[in-house]
Amino acid sequence: MERAPVRAPLIKNLELKVGLLLATTGVLALAFIVYVLYARGTFQPTQDLILLANNAEGVTIGMPLTFSGFPIGQVKRLDLTEDGRVRIHIAVPEKDARWLRTSSQFTLEKGLVGGARIRAFSAVLSDPPLPDGAERELITGDATEDIPVIMARVKAILSNVEAMTAADSSINRALAHVDTVTGRMTGDYGVLEGVLGGPDKARKVVEALDRANTLLTSLNGISLRVDQTLAKADQRVFGSGGVMDQTDRSLAQVNAILTEVRESLKRADAILLAAQGAADNVNAITADVKGATTDLTILRVEVDDSIRKVNHLINEINRKWPFRRDVELKLP
Amino acid sequence: MHTALRFLTRIGGGALGWLQAWGRLLTFGARALVETFTPAVYNSATRSVVLKQIYFTAWQILPGFLLFAALLSYVIIQIVVTTARDFGLSEFALEVSVRVVVLETLPLLTVLFVALRSGAAINTEVALMNINNEIRALEDVGVDPMRFEFTPRVIGGAISVYALTLLSCILALILAYIAVYGFQPWSLSDFSRVIAKIFTPTAFLTLTVKSLLFGLAVTLIPIRAGLEAPRMLFFAPIAVLRGMVRLFFVIMFIEVASLALVYM
Repeated sequence: MERAPVRAPLIKNLELKVGLLLATTGVLALAFIVYVLYARGTFQPTQDLILLANNAEGVTIGMPLTFSGFPIGQVKRLDLTEDGRVRIHIAVPEKDARWLRTSSQFTLEKGLVGGARIRAFSAVLSDPPLPDGAERELITGDATEDIPVIMARVKAILSNVEAMTAADSSINRALAHVDTVTGRMTGDYGVLEGVLGGPDKARKVVEALDRANTLLTSLNGISLRVDQTLAKADQRVFGSGGVMDQTDRSLAQVNAILTEVRESLKRADAILLAAQGAADNVNAITADVKGATTDLTILRVEVDDSIRKVNHLINEINRKWPFRRDVELKLP
Repeated sequence: MHTALRFLTRIGGGALGWLQAWGRLLTFGARALVETFTPAVYNSATRSVVLKQIYFTAWQILPGFLLFAALLSYVIIQIVVTTARDFGLSEFALEVSVRVVVLETLPLLTVLFVALRSGAAINTEVALMNINNEIRALEDVGVDPMRFEFTPRVIGGAISVYALTLLSCILALILAYIAVYGFQPWSLSDFSRVIAKIFTPTAFLTLTVKSLLFGLAVTLIPIRAGLEAPRMLFFAPIAVLRGMVRLFFVIMFIEVASLALVYM
């Protein structure tokens, strides 16, 4: 122990240095304790909020209650009620209590990663503030609860997709057919070949169309000719010097002839009257018979001549009027 | 048969010796603790030893140690923060890094640092004092070495380890704030919330007790190992070796026990 006094003077300000170290340590330790107490909300007046849940799985003491992502409270205690529900006691600092209103909703959410979260939603901030010690229902929503259901559905969808993508699936076959059809469409006859199923059939259709075109062209010529024929017929029948004209003229001649015939018949009547008068006095007449019979012969010749003319005329009309039986002109 | 008996005897003897050594260590520790809380111990002589012990153990290494602790803490915090961000877990980065660095790494680092430096020195000094019969000489003149030589060192060591741990931890907290939020004061409420979540009374108590136990172990075990050395000069290195290995195991035991207490 004799070394201690020897070494002591070698250390300058030993007591000051150690005192400084100890004082710094002490002050820092105290400051840290005060800071932790402050951080834990020891110096903040709080109000109680009690949330009732059926299942408090994932809820731990010290867990924050968040509002719009900001922690405004902390879980202080958990206990079970008589009917097996969970009472979650949350301490909300009074300065943050204004975010909680009577209409606020509280949810417990469990994500895939990280702990559960208790969140508060206040839609109407003008509602009266939540009183101290209020009890509210905690709505639980668990993302992991849906996973089995989702997995089952995904499996069903995947098996469908598998069936659809299998080598002999109908979709694959349909696609193969589409491929065949579009392949054909790239051929010489394009879409026609695709639709009809081969270049031969498409060629036939094209040929048929060509032939139809030719046919239409010739029909066009025919109809032109028919038109010309009809025009000519028209000309011949109804034009000047046509059949109708000649007929008209013939009819006029017939009229003239008939007038002549009538006059001849009148003269015959007169002759017959004279003959009637003569018959009364045969004797008187016998002298005139010679002259009378001569007249009769002449008359008869004249009548014959007239009748022959009429006959001839009618024959001529018959010859010149070919459609005598069918008066109507039937168009094709 | 004879060989087997001899083997068993050797095993038994070894185990007994081992147990006796630990028993003596515990007895010694208990005595030191009793002395610590005996007001009569504190006089000018013991105070001088305590001050010197604190000076050599804490003050001398303070700048280098704090620099090293700051560097290591910052690197660890940055690794945790970056990794957490990559995995989309930024909100847990601060908590994880503070738990890893402040609650576990820095206390252990401090005690290992002090053990390698001061623990080894105390062990050697006591072993040499023992070999040179200085301790017996003290006892012969009526000076209790326990009271005037060992207890002040234990007190000084414990205070030093506690002070170093606390200073490095607070430095690490400041660095953690800067690493996570940057140089701005507006995230202090977020930071406070995380700190409040981590430093529960249990965690705080565990950290303090662990730190004090580390401080006790880092002086008690080397002193005891030095005293146990046979009074021959060539046993001094063996005494130091035994003391340091025993100290290492005790430190690890305290660390694991504290982890088990907090996380199980």
